[in-house]
Parts: sequence; structure tokens; C-alpha cells
Amino acid sequence: MAQSFLEQARVLDFIVHLQTRHTVYAPHRRGQRSFAFEKTSDPAAVELDYPRVLGSVKKYFLPPRETLMDFDLKTDTATAPQVEPVNAVFLGVHSYDLAAVKRLDHNFLTGKPERNYLVRRQGARFIGVSYVPDKFHFAGSVGIDPYDMTGSDVFLTRHPDGWIVDVLTGEGAALLQGFALPPHALPKPKREHFTQHIYVPQDSLGRILEASYDHPVWNETARSCLSCGTCNLVCPTCYCFNVEDQVAVTGDSGSRERSWDGCMLRGFTEVAGGEVFREKSAARQRHRIYRKFKYLSDATGQPWCVGCGRCTAACTAGISIVDIVNRLIRDAEREEKITA
Amino acid sequence: MANKPRVAIFDFTGCEGCELSQLNFEDQLLDILAQVDIVEWREAMDDRADEYDIAFVEGALSTPDCIKRIHDIRRRSKVLVALGSCAVDGGVNAIKNLHPIEEVRAEVYGKDQYLFPTLPALPLSAVVKVDHNVRGCPMTQGEFLRLFTALVMGKQFAEPDQSVCVECKLNENECVFERGMICLGPVTRGGCNSQCTNFGQYCIGCRGLVSEPNLAGMAETLASHGLAMDEAWKRLQLYNAYRLQGVRA
Repeated sequence: MAQSFLEQARVLDFIVHLQTRHTVYAPHRRGQRSFAFEKTSDPAAVELDYPRVLGSVKKYFLPPRETLMDFDLKTDTATAPQVEPVNAVFLGVHSYDLAAVKRLDHNFLTGKPERNYLVRRQGARFIGVSYVPDKFHFAGSVGIDPYDMTGSDVFLTRHPDGWIVDVLTGEGAALLQGFALPPHALPKPKREHFTQHIYVPQDSLGRILEASYDHPVWNETARSCLSCGTCNLVCPTCYCFNVEDQVAVTGDSGSRERSWDGCMLRGFTEVAGGEVFREKSAARQRHRIYRKFKYLSDATGQPWCVGCGRCTAACTAGISIVDIVNRLIRDAEREEKITA
Repeated sequence: MANKPRVAIFDFTGCEGCELSQLNFEDQLLDILAQVDIVEWREAMDDRADEYDIAFVEGALSTPDCIKRIHDIRRRSKVLVALGSCAVDGGVNAIKNLHPIEEVRAEVYGKDQYLFPTLPALPLSAVVKVDHNVRGCPMTQGEFLRLFTALVMGKQFAEPDQSVCVECKLNENECVFERGMICLGPVTRGGCNSQCTNFGQYCIGCRGLVSEPNLAGMAETLASHGLAMDEAWKRLQLYNAYRLQGVRA
């Protein structure tokens, strides 16, 4: 579709234009060195050049905590809270986070669709932005480059003087209605390169993992892993949760609460009766990597890791998903040479 | 309710901050009192009783008299709950265990030291069976309410056993390590809604360790963020001195 140009000096006007008709969520500064998606009130607080946000836009469709039902034991009744569509514009989303939304859609649509997620997902429009990969991004290795427009309604590509605007859907065209932009006639910017790579085609990674079930890397990683669960909780494609009933002190009413959970946490694998499926941290680490590059990939043909680098960037123990996977690949190749 | 559970509240070596936290339940205090009969509570009333359905006990055990009293309380109680870091883990009191007991006694009581027999500080569970824990320094109020409700309703109570990082990530905080701080969140038991890191403060570990902490890994992590190894272990010992006795060779 049409390509036009948004000068840097008009970015604030553009955000104001979006705000007149829509709720706008966009990256803002969080803390001293981080960024997070927030509802925009001051357009000047929006940051379109950022390495990554702490949590992805997942939080708007699958909230970290949500009430699934309220119950009243006096009347023996239960009601589900009204779930509203987010119905908003997400400005400044990176390609890997849009790829992650696609994967979550798959998870929540397959089998019995998840009503709360699907209702919230309605009315979400995405304005993607390109980014410059930092030392943690490796999305290129999973086939998502910084300029990938998949999933965007409008895509903004960084240019020294502003942003090249691609309108990709009818929804996108509607977002720009009433905001005139000159057609784009400038040369395309040079492509940015990743410094982090996984050195193997995706289709053979599942096979390599299959053969790496007893690889020493799991125990070695477990020596430094603190089992804090951070890698799961910052992952844009992790979708596991826990459900607990909270009862009021009066003992006659309460609510059923859902919150994010993660397979690196020991309690996650504990079931009624006290059985723990993956007692060792090494087994949990293996499971996490298999979930990202094997189990779901075998079923869908796509990696469930989008290369955002959050798990590595956020790990206080310095564990790198790229290092683990590359080590398995390297050892598998060495093995093949020996047996060949 | 015809027979409301009889509740008693006791304190040992501690600052009584956990009991104060109970008195501070301003919004819930009347609801709490409607569910139970409080039959003994030195900090708030004069009455005494012989038997208790639930005893909430604050403080660490640090004198021979403490040991006698906790046995007595245990005998009279159907359910015994340790309240707060001192009762659950020995708390900051247990730092004294890192020094020879006679030195500690002389330092604190000087020439009157022979009047005050003292023991290494112990969590309640080192002496009697403890049925439940409410962790934190002071105790986490939300956790007390969850346990209280479970006990009154006769339901199971699931003690949290995940790191502080879990709630910290749910709250989408910037990791304080990013700000050059040293945080014990990764091995400290959550359930506090990461209330310190929510306000930009680092976790000092007041809720004790998770059940299977990777201590060597945590010390390495702290060291990799700029602490000397000795300093890293001291940080871990602040609230965990009792549990870490003999852990580091």
C-alpha cells in the first residue's frame, strides 16, 4: 500500500492526532534505564526509539493478574466480571512483539478458545516501528527482522529525518485519515544487523534438541540459575498461569484470581498430592528451551521464541538462551562429524 | 458461629512489630474479631486462658525461659503459627549466633551479664512443631489475612514458595540490579507483592529464603554485580543467619 513520510518535527502532532480519536498505548520511560508500554497522556513522553520494553503488549490481552469470577457463599452465586475489548492503538511496537501476539493468538484460539483473551484482543490496532538491535536481540535468527511489518496496521521505519510510513491495512488507513503526509521519495535507510545469532536453520533445531535431552548444558546452567522465574515472566510468548481462590476475611465471599506463572518455578510443576514433575532446576531449564524451540515448533512449524532477548537481558545470573542453544548446535555438529 | 476459635497471641525475642501490624488492621479488625475470640494477648489485653485453638507467636527463642514457655504454649495450642521473620527463621536475632555467645552476652549486658542467661537465637521450629508461617519483617499483612481466613474456614493454606522476582515482574518494575543495586529478590520468598522494589528499594530478604535456594549461585550473582564474596554472604545472612549456619565452608 501507500508509502509516505513523517518528519521528526511532526511526530508529536501525529500522536495528538491519534489521541483525538483513540486510546493510545506507547513506550514510556520506566525507572532509570528501562521502558514500558503505558497509556499515553503526554505525547512528549512517548519514546519511539527504544531497545525493548520490560513487558510486551501481552499484558493488555493477558493481564498479569485478573479476576475470573466473584463468588458469594451466602447466596451460592458466582458472577464473571465484564471483560472489555482493549479497543486501542498500540504505537511503537517492535516486529518481534507483534510476532509474539500472533503466537499468543494461536495459543488462545486453538482448542477451546479463551474468551477473556479474545474479547480483550478486539479492537487492537498496531503501529509498528523499526529498531536498532542491541547486544541481546537475535530476532533475525528466528526470521523476524527489525523492519518486518507483519501484524502491523501501519509501520514506521526509522529514517535520519523522521519515519517512513507504510500503511498496510484498511484499519491503518483509517488511523491516518485526516493527517496528511507527503509521499515518501527518500532512499531506504541501510539495514541494521544483529550481533547475536543462533547458528542453525529452525527446521533442524527441533531434531538437535531431541538428541540433547541428556546434554551436560542443563546441569551446568542449573548451577547458576536461581529459579527466580524472571525468564518466563518477561517472555512475550509465555502464557502459563495459576488460578487461586481468595476468600474475604468474613469467609462468605471471594474471588477466583488468575496470575502469570512460569515453568522455571518449582511450584509450577507441583500438583495435588505434592508430586513435582520437574524437581530439578536443570529439568525445568530444558523444558523452557524445548517449549520455545521444539514442542510448539514441532506442532506449528514456527519457533515459539521471537528473539527479543528479554530472558537474557533480565537474567541476574547472566544465563543466555542464545549461548545454550548455540552450544547444543555446536556439540550436535561435532557429534555428526565424528559419526560420519 | 456458636463456638468461635479461641485465639491467643504471644511474643518472644523481637520488636513486637508483627503484633503492631495486627493492631494496624484498621479496615479488617472488626471482621477479624467477629470470627474469633481473642483469649490472650499481652500487648492488647489483660485476660489469660488455658487452651487455644490458634496461637500466633512472634519473636525468636533466645533464653532458657523462652524454651520453657514455647513448650507450654505448644501444649495448649491446637494450631501454632509463627509470625514474622524472627519466629519463622530466627530473623536478625540470629546474627548473634555468628559470634561466640559469651562475647555477645558481655557486649550487651556488660558487668550484669551473669543476671541474663542467653542462648543462640532459634526459630520456633527449632524447638516445637510449627503448623504455619507468616513471613516478613514485620509480617506481611496480606499473608496473615490469607492464613487467618484459611484457618477459620478450615481450608488448606498454600505458603508462597516463589521468588520475590515473580511479583516484581508481574508489577513490571525495572529490575533494581539495572540501577546498580544489590537485591536478594531472586532467592527470597515472595508473597509480599514485591513491596520494596515497587518503590525502587532493593530486597533485603526479610521473608526468608525459598525452600530450595541456589545459594552458591546467588552469592556468585551478587559478586558479579560488584560485591566481595564475604560481603555477599553477609547480605544473605541478614535475615537468614540461622538457616545458613554451616552452609558456607
